[in-house]
Amino acid sequence: MEKEDRELFIEQVREHHATLRGFVRSLGVAPMWVDDVAQEAFIVAYNRLDEFDRERDFGAWLRGIARNLVINERRKDARRKRILSDNLTDVLLSSSSASDHEEEELGDRGLAKLNALRECIKSLPEKSLGLLKSRYENESSAQDIAEEFSMKPPAVRKALERARTALKKCMDERLGVDSESNGGYCEA
Amino acid sequence: MKHDPTELWLSQLVDGSIDSVSLDALIEAAEGNAELADRIGDELSFSELIRQALDDRSPAAQSNFEKALESQGREPSALQSLVSEGKATSFDYDQIVKRLWENPGEIEDLRRDLIEDEWFSQVLSESKSEGAFIEALETRMWAETRQDHFVEDFTLRLEQEFAESDEADNIVAFAPSLFRTVAKMTAVAAAIAIGAFFTVQQFSGRVDFSPAVASVSKASSDVSWSEFSSPDSDGNVKSGMYQLDSGVVSLTMASGSEITVEGPALFEVRDDASAHVHAGVALARIAPNDMGISLKSKGLNISEPTKLVGIDARSENSSAALFFEGGGGVCLEGGGGCRNLFEREAVKSGESGDRFVDIPFNPHAFSKAWALLSGVEKNIGSVRIELPGSEIGPSKQVESEVQVFVENESFRPEDDLEVDTIRVGEFASAVANPGQNLQAKGDLRSYLLQLWPSDGNGAGPEGEVEASLTFDHPVVGVIYSSDRLAGSDASVGSSITNVGETFNARRGLDSGNNQILLSEDRRTLNLKLKGGVAEVDQIRVLVALN
Repeated sequence: MEKEDRELFIEQVREHHATLRGFVRSLGVAPMWVDDVAQEAFIVAYNRLDEFDRERDFGAWLRGIARNLVINERRKDARRKRILSDNLTDVLLSSSSASDHEEEELGDRGLAKLNALRECIKSLPEKSLGLLKSRYENESSAQDIAEEFSMKPPAVRKALERARTALKKCMDERLGVDSESNGGYCEA
Repeated sequence: MKHDPTELWLSQLVDGSIDSVSLDALIEAAEGNAELADRIGDELSFSELIRQALDDRSPAAQSNFEKALESQGREPSALQSLVSEGKATSFDYDQIVKRLWENPGEIEDLRRDLIEDEWFSQVLSESKSEGAFIEALETRMWAETRQDHFVEDFTLRLEQEFAESDEADNIVAFAPSLFRTVAKMTAVAAAIAIGAFFTVQQFSGRVDFSPAVASVSKASSDVSWSEFSSPDSDGNVKSGMYQLDSGVVSLTMASGSEITVEGPALFEVRDDASAHVHAGVALARIAPNDMGISLKSKGLNISEPTKLVGIDARSENSSAALFFEGGGGVCLEGGGGCRNLFEREAVKSGESGDRFVDIPFNPHAFSKAWALLSGVEKNIGSVRIELPGSEIGPSKQVESEVQVFVENESFRPEDDLEVDTIRVGEFASAVANPGQNLQAKGDLRSYLLQLWPSDGNGAGPEGEVEASLTFDHPVVGVIYSSDRLAGSDASVGSSITNVGETFNARRGLDSGNNQILLSEDRRTLNLKLKGGVAEVDQIRVLVALN
C-alpha cells in the first residue's frame, strides 16, 4: 500500500470515526459492540483501500461497509450477534441507505455537533451531569441510577430526558441551527 | 357386580393413553357426576403441576410470559430508554418493532436518538473518547496488518496534527485529539502518581539506609526523575517508590533479572525479587537462573513469568500484561482468579478489577523500552529495532531500513562458530574472506540485521543506506557472507530455521559493494549498504555477554 493511501486513511479515521459510530449505533448494534463494529468497518476499508473510488465520499463508502457488516450480524449465531434484535435491525436498516446524502438526511453534522455537545455539557447542573455520567460513563441502567440517586426509575428516565433535551437545544444553538428547521427535533 | 370403568378411563386420561370412545364416555359420566368432574379437574391440574416441576424450562417460560406482559404495559418512552441502555428484552424489541411498522415516521427519530445517545457516550465516557477509539483501532490494525507501517504512520501523523492544532486554540475546540487525551491522562496519571507517591512516602517511609536491591544498568539519554524519587547518584536502587518523568531506564535486580521502565512512570521496587508498576510501561526480562520474580500492577499480579513480559499500566484503573517470550501465570489482585498465558498472549484486568479481559497482543507500546532492553544502546540512520516475536521471514518486509532482530537473547554455542574477518577501526568492503573461528566460550547474544532493497533504488544517494548501531556489549563476531550465515542459523538458534521457507541463497553481503566498520572499542558497527538487486541482505552480529 502506498504511503499516501495510508495517510488518506488516517485522515479519514479522524474525520469519520464519530459519525460512523453513531451510524452503527443507529442500526441497532448493541452499545457495547458499536466501537467493535466501527473498527471492523475501518479495517475492511483499509484492506480494500485500492478499491475506493476517490470521486466518492469516503464517509458514505465506510457507512456502506458498516451497513453490510450489520446485515451479516443477522446471520450469526445468537451468542455471537452484536445487534440488539434481528427485527429491530431489520426496521432500522430499512430506513438506512448509506447514501452519500444520509448524513444530511439525518441532520448530521458530525464532528461539529460533537464539539458543540462537549461545550454544552460544561454548563449542565451538577446533578444532571451526575445522572448523565452514571448513564453514559458508568453505563448504569435507569434502575441502577435510581438506586444510586435515591430516585424512582421513571423519574430517572424523565431527568435524563430533560438533560438530553437541554443539551440538544444548547447544541443546536451553538451551531446556529433553528430547531424548527431540524424537524422539530430539538425540543417539544 | 358391575365393573366401573371410570377409574380406568381416568388413569388413561392422566397418562395420555385414553382413546376417543373412552374419553367421550368419561365426559358423559362426568356430566352427571359433579364429584367425578371435580376429580378429573384435580387430576389434570396435578398432572400439569408435575409436568412443570419436572420441566426445567417452565420457570423460564413463566418468566418470559411475565416479561411479555410487563412489556405490553410499557410506555413508548420507557421502551426507547431500554433500547438506548441496551437492556430491553426481546419482547420489548418486538413491541418497538411493531410500533415502528405502524408509525414508519418514527424510525428515523429512533435512529437519531440512537446516534445522539452514541455521541453522549463519546463525550461523557473516557472509554468512548476519540483517543480510546483510535488506540483500540491501532491495536486491531497492528494485529490484523502485522508488518504494516500503519501504527507508526498513524502516530506520526497525529503528532504532527496535534502540534499544529495546539498552535491555534479555537473557541469551540476540535474533538479532543489523542495527544490531548494522552496529555490529559498523563496529567491525571501524574497527579495520581504524585499523590500515590507522597502517600506511600508518608506511610511507609523511604528506607534510606537499606541495602540496594537493584541497580540502574542502562538509561536513555533523556532520563529525568522526579525530585526525591530517583535512585542514588551511584545508580543503586533501594526498596521504595520511584517516579520516572521521562526517558527509559533498565534496572538489574540482585537476582539478575532486568526491569526496563519507560517514563512517565511510577513504580515501586519492593525487594530483590518483586516490583510494582503503578503507572507507565515496563518490560521485565527474567534471568535464566532467577527462581521467580513477582510483578504487580493495577489489578494484576504476574507470577512466574518465564522469559520476557510486558506491563502496560497507563490506564487509570487497569493494566495489561503481555507475554513476549515464554508463558506465565497472572492473577487478579484480591483473589479474583488466575490465568495461565502462553507466549504472545495478552490480558488486562477489567475496570472493576474482578475479571480478565482478553486483548490482542500488541507490543507497540513497548517499542522504546525494548530498544533499550534489546542491547542496542544507540542507533543512527535508517534503523528499525524489531520488537520481540517479530518474524524473520523470506517475504519482503520494510524497505530501505535496516531491521534489527534480536535472534537469541543468550546462548552458549556448542561448537566454535565460523565468522567473517573484519578489521577494527576502518571501513572495509564486505568481501569474500577466509574467516576465523569464534571459540565456544561464554554466553553470546545474536542479532540479525536485515535490509530489503527498495526496487533496487535504495534510500540514500546512489541507493545507499547508512546505519550505525552501538551495542551494550562488545561485538565479538560478524557474519555477512551467505554460506556462513546459512551455516550458523542453527548454531545461534535463529528462528529462520523454523520459517519453513528459505531465504535467497545470496542473502549475505556478497556483492562487494557494501562497507562495514567496527569501532575500536568493538561496540559500534557502521554500515554502508547498497542493498541487493532484488533480494534481502543480512548480517549477523554476535556480542559477548560476559
